[in-house]
Amino acid sequence: MDWNNLPWDKIFIVLTALIAGPGVIVGVIVPAIGQMVVASAGLKAIARQPEAGDRINTIVLLSLAMLESLAIYVLAVILILIFANPMLKYIIGE
Amino acid sequence: MQKINNHRNLILLIVLLVALIGFSQLLEGPAGTAEEPDIAGELTPHVIFTVGPLEVTSTVVNTWAMMLLLGVGAYLLGRDLKLRPGPVQNLLEWFIEAIEGLIRQMMDVQDTTLFLPIVGTLAIFIGSANLIGLIPHLKSPTPDINTPLAMALVVFFSVPYFGVRMRGLGGYLKHYVEPTFLMLPVEIASELARTFSLTFRLFGNILGEEIIISILFIVMPFFVPVPMMLFSIFTGLLQAYIFTLLTCVYIGGAIKAHA
Repeated sequence: MDWNNLPWDKIFIVLTALIAGPGVIVGVIVPAIGQMVVASAGLKAIARQPEAGDRINTIVLLSLAMLESLAIYVLAVILILIFANPMLKYIIGE
Repeated sequence: MQKINNHRNLILLIVLLVALIGFSQLLEGPAGTAEEPDIAGELTPHVIFTVGPLEVTSTVVNTWAMMLLLGVGAYLLGRDLKLRPGPVQNLLEWFIEAIEGLIRQMMDVQDTTLFLPIVGTLAIFIGSANLIGLIPHLKSPTPDINTPLAMALVVFFSVPYFGVRMRGLGGYLKHYVEPTFLMLPVEIASELARTFSLTFRLFGNILGEEIIISILFIVMPFFVPVPMMLFSIFTGLLQAYIFTLLTCVYIGGAIKAHA
């Protein structure tokens, strides 16, 4: 097989797309599970102690924001992969 | 007479808004020249004009348009404050009291006059920056990475400022090495990482929303994007709230005596 004559640029782009899809799937599911745990724990805490609702609300939102940023990192990486891949110019050429 | 005065303010604001939309359309060129729907071209900021070596992008123009709108609106609304507030003044007072409550709760301080300007300004700026994209022909400045980065850098530098101001230089620097000296690299790394995460949280959320709306526009331009746009109002306000909350938490961590 002649490795040098394969269409590496097309292979590279296809590989990027193939990685981006599962990457988004994994990167959304895992923080979603974390947010689920936080939200259910917050609900239980408010149901047990409704008078502490304000403080619990703030802390739950804070934790959700922290977990949300993990999903956002995935989104940023995937966007860079698809729209602004820094490696692409080495593959395709100047 | 009072009624007429109120209406005149509203009419002035609407006229200003229409003028801004016309101005931005003038800058972007006539509509309908785009041949193909292009998501990346639609979302990335483009250079409108250059001043010497500086390139003025659409983000800057939109930000200044928003600042003009906010400034004129604040002047018109703050011109005649009354002891017995009308609905608009009530809304503003409710907003300020909400911010004050947030500061009291997250920072454990009673006097909020020192922190209210920066926290309130961040909340108003980010909230309206997220929402201004809903006005036709104006675009949100927040999906450009530079705007959230600038906001996060403001927070990054205001944390040591307030820390030094409240606890003195020695007191502030001491919290880096408490309880042991080994915590120093961890503390520094966490300061850098939270700036990064503040930037990307705001940027990614708003950009993701805009991408979804753009794709829906390309697939089906009539009525289908409307629920998503309504949802983007919620997302934008929630992100502004979370940014404000995290700012309060970070500043509060720096000014507390035993953090």
